[in-house]
Amino acid sequence: MTDATANTMKVKLKIKRFDPAESGGKTWWQDYEVDVHPDSTVLDSLIEVREQNDGTLALRCACRASICGSCGMKVNGSAKLVCKTRVVDVAPNGEQLTIEPMGNQHVVRDLVVSLDTFFSQINRVEPYLQPSFVPESGEYTASNESMENLLTGMNCIMCGCCVSDCTVLEVDANFIGPAALAKAWRFTEDPRDSKRDERLKNLNDEDGGMWDCTRCMKCVEVCPKGVAPMDRIMELREAAIEAGNTNTSGYHHTESFYNSVKKHGRLDETRLAIDSAGWTNIPRLLDLAPIGIAAMRKGKLPPVFPHKAEDNKKVKDLYERVEDAD
Amino acid sequence: MYEHDVLIIGGGLAGLRAAVEVTRAGADVAVISKVHPVRSHSNAAQGGINAPLTDRGEDWKGHAFDTIKGSDFLADQDAVEVMSSEAGEAVLELERMGVIFSRDENGKLGTRAFGGQKEARTYFVGAITGSAILHVLFEQSLKLGLNVYEEWFVTKLIIEDGACRGVVSIDLKTGEMHTIKAKAVIIAAGGAGRVFEPSTNALICTGDGLSLAYRAGVPLMDMEMIQYHPTTLARTGILMSEAARGEGGYLLNSSGERFMQKVAPEYMELASRDVVSRAEQTEIDEGRGVDGNVLLDLRHLGREYIEAKLGYLQEVSVEFLGIDMAEQPVPVQPGMHYIMGGIKTNIDGETVVPGLYAAGECANVSVHGANRLGANSLLDTVVFGRRSGAHAVEYIKTVGDHSKSEEDIKSEKARIQALLDRPKGERVATVRNDMARGMTKGIGVFRDQASMEGALENLVNVKSRMDGFSVENKGKVFNTDLMFALELEFMVDCAEAVVAGALTRKESRGAHYRTDITERDDENWLKHTLMYKDETAENGVRVETSDVTITQWEPIKRVY
Amino acid sequence: MKYAFYPGCVARGGAPELYDSALAVMARLGIEHVELTKAACTGAGVLQEKNLKMGDILNVRTFALAEQMGLPIMVLCSTCQGVMSQANHRVKKDPEYLAEINEHLAPEGLEYKGTTSVKHLLWGLIEDIGLDKLKKTFTRELTGMNMAPFYGCYMVRPSDALEFPAYPQRETSIEDLIESVGGSVTDFAGKTACCGFPILFINQANSMKMVANHTGTAKDLGADAMVTPCPLCHLNLDGYQPKARKQVRGDKADLPVIHVPQLIGLAMGMSEKELGLQKHIVSTKEIVRKAEAAPAKS
Repeated sequence: MTDATANTMKVKLKIKRFDPAESGGKTWWQDYEVDVHPDSTVLDSLIEVREQNDGTLALRCACRASICGSCGMKVNGSAKLVCKTRVVDVAPNGEQLTIEPMGNQHVVRDLVVSLDTFFSQINRVEPYLQPSFVPESGEYTASNESMENLLTGMNCIMCGCCVSDCTVLEVDANFIGPAALAKAWRFTEDPRDSKRDERLKNLNDEDGGMWDCTRCMKCVEVCPKGVAPMDRIMELREAAIEAGNTNTSGYHHTESFYNSVKKHGRLDETRLAIDSAGWTNIPRLLDLAPIGIAAMRKGKLPPVFPHKAEDNKKVKDLYERVEDAD
Repeated sequence: MYEHDVLIIGGGLAGLRAAVEVTRAGADVAVISKVHPVRSHSNAAQGGINAPLTDRGEDWKGHAFDTIKGSDFLADQDAVEVMSSEAGEAVLELERMGVIFSRDENGKLGTRAFGGQKEARTYFVGAITGSAILHVLFEQSLKLGLNVYEEWFVTKLIIEDGACRGVVSIDLKTGEMHTIKAKAVIIAAGGAGRVFEPSTNALICTGDGLSLAYRAGVPLMDMEMIQYHPTTLARTGILMSEAARGEGGYLLNSSGERFMQKVAPEYMELASRDVVSRAEQTEIDEGRGVDGNVLLDLRHLGREYIEAKLGYLQEVSVEFLGIDMAEQPVPVQPGMHYIMGGIKTNIDGETVVPGLYAAGECANVSVHGANRLGANSLLDTVVFGRRSGAHAVEYIKTVGDHSKSEEDIKSEKARIQALLDRPKGERVATVRNDMARGMTKGIGVFRDQASMEGALENLVNVKSRMDGFSVENKGKVFNTDLMFALELEFMVDCAEAVVAGALTRKESRGAHYRTDITERDDENWLKHTLMYKDETAENGVRVETSDVTITQWEPIKRVY
Repeated sequence: MKYAFYPGCVARGGAPELYDSALAVMARLGIEHVELTKAACTGAGVLQEKNLKMGDILNVRTFALAEQMGLPIMVLCSTCQGVMSQANHRVKKDPEYLAEINEHLAPEGLEYKGTTSVKHLLWGLIEDIGLDKLKKTFTRELTGMNMAPFYGCYMVRPSDALEFPAYPQRETSIEDLIESVGGSVTDFAGKTACCGFPILFINQANSMKMVANHTGTAKDLGADAMVTPCPLCHLNLDGYQPKARKQVRGDKADLPVIHVPQLIGLAMGMSEKELGLQKHIVSTKEIVRKAEAAPAKS
């Protein structure tokens, strides 16, 4: 709570500690309480702990202005850049704050995670401009609009918050991750880059590529810089489809969905499952079958003849009008 | 066994640009940095990078003159000529590497106006120019497969037979100490902003590079030249780029007056930084401020324009102060921002120690003299980062085998163990805060003999406590507590040189503005101050002076 | 209260018990509704991958249909809620974009003015009916029943499009509902994670890990059931639970995953059949038994 007269406020912190020196590493929770200025950020409070309370607490921080990307960690369960997280916003009534290291990355000590996971993901997308020619002198010609468009991607400061909270990485370390895909987008959208098609094809074909995102939006929610990685991933998918990559379950799923809504106004779930698996993918179809049979016994299988929206003809007309206009 | 032809300390713009140059020349290079390269403080440069584009007929001399005038004629003009004439190609090269610079209607690089310059020649990426360039140079480092010792902290330079032959360092992730041998070392370790409190600088800007060179016998030059940026966000001290004024923002006092009218009727808000900061401080000191601040007003620019061109500033203003710049002016004040002084080098980055180079904020070539122009710091890093790399490549051809000595690592291990073994004493942060607050108090926007002597007295007190603090964390892995202790020792070296330089210079020039001697004195003080570490001298510093190089611009009165 | 009712494809398809239980509960509460039978699918975020604008057009068409009736939309599906909220958010903040979409709708005689709100039954119960009034319709106190909330994604993100700043109680809506029926909340970290459904047909191994982790963790923490506002989460967490648990954890499916109206219905004293609980893949017998044994509400 803010004490206006003293011009300080109490911040209660519960911090997850990790000491690798103990055999096999030791994890424990430690409570701290510090007095800081009422406008303080969570980082200010942590620095106060480190400098005046417990010098053994390890965390990374540098710029204090949300541009260097050092101080990503979990506050009350979700990843944040603590230098731009004000205490009053996350603990308006003086609640205890739970601070943990970022997720999906190996913990080095206390709140410090290894950078290896993050940067090995980034490295997978050949994260540098690959132009077809280099001007002998001067610059590439490119519209200001095209450069401003890339600002969304260049705003990424590689803090790792999106990787921390990615629900796919939680179950699959092979997923390339939201940050790397957003980085890839920064090149596929760059008019100076000549590898757009190859980049899209690789990310389309590769295991753990663009289609493994579940669209859970955690990365959009936790990104402190407005990069909205999942939105970039959706744009990559749209671009990959446009570029003719039609060999994935993801593509068939999307295509089937699109056409089902066009035809019926609604979704044909049976068809969707079969289309996504691929008509010729017998093992996958067999794999889906037992679930379908169990569901049918329970009386909840999707109808074999899909129900239609009453106005499905109007929806179809609308589709055609929009497709024609594009 | 770690060995490289060239070792670069620091992974910011200067360091990475040097590394690209050395790699291109085919030599073996590595970067060592206490933080991952993309965490470097180059990130924080917001507004842009200056360059006359000579390839389309722009005259570099205009930029050179503005820079020299901005420096209050303390810059070495041969160095400025190099920087200005190479600027265009340096910026174009960054674009070709992938930097998404703003464009004009023809798809060519587009400019914005910046302080202290007659022409608009600042190239930019929104208000994240430093970050956008740093990330592209990092991309290039990945492309080139650059070797990086990430989160390794250098504790000492290895000097043998008068030449630099490598470094002793701690791998922070394991706590192990290692020697890295090199035929040449380039220090590109950034500034020393944390010597002051408050400062816009990142917590990592602790003058490590300056101190390493200083301890190796290299003079630190013009250290009294400390830049106070005119627009740092109230209370937080966060930088609000000069681009805010470059794009047309006003500075207002409590009665809504554009007070720059009084001191710089022609340039107004875009006068040199030292001039604007002094004008602001005067308003605040004379009671025309708003709670110790003046107001930065962008409302007339409109929301759309602010968000498109100054998005990061809007983000910071909203998130840290809850102020929407399209609706309300934001309170700002002068804040310590940059150190013009640094490791004395020539135009190829060479120091007086063979095999030791410096580039970027830690170096003093000198192109900024007594006051740096906005958007010249990024330019300085890439031009002199490249030149240092290029020269080092030539130099290493003259060097035989790597050093064989293990002396330095032994003594460093013993020194650091002794530090860890100290009995419980003062906290490092307490000593550091006392030092830094004393520095800001004594070596501020305005200073005089008494304030500077106060800073010295404070520093003497701080030095007397340097054997008395202790390191609480005795562990090996990621022991930042130990690192902060070592950084404090580096910062005290820098503070010592700053105070010595300030007390030596008996005039007002650029950022060194003395209220007790308000005039510039070209007759006696068109000179650099050179601080040498010397235990036999008073306060441990020997101060010498040297002449400023004048090529074609004779000093004139500085009016904006 | 009266709503333009948009049950969504899954409630009318793969999860019919959701539709039936929702209608039963709404009838008990006196909630009137007119089903939007002419509306198209929201696109579920999938169609949007191919053509975002097409998705927005379909949703704006639905908003316009409800606007003509002067009614807010009620949905039963988190995904419908999320996708519609996002579309509404986009067109409301960009009048030019809305005008462009309206041009496509004009031949059908439709125009959206931007006044339609979209509310999931879960939110409607709390915000429009109110927990106090809701509680008065309960006949049982479901004490001793531990329930894990499972929000999934679309009911919590993106928080701005879902108007969380204006409706902060939305963040804890399932917990509040569980407590209102007298149950205990089994909190677990996965409650706002992905259920795995969107990648079921794309990367089934990952999808199964998500199902097994969420249901297994909640069970380990003592949950008797999981409550979800999303029929797609239900399809995966219930329908694939036997396979996932066996494959990933080597154990058996033992955590029923129930829909929001089923939870309310149990508290109202409705039967297993009325709520369609017998249609679940993972047996709901144990929770039905517990509910039936629960003390009557005083």
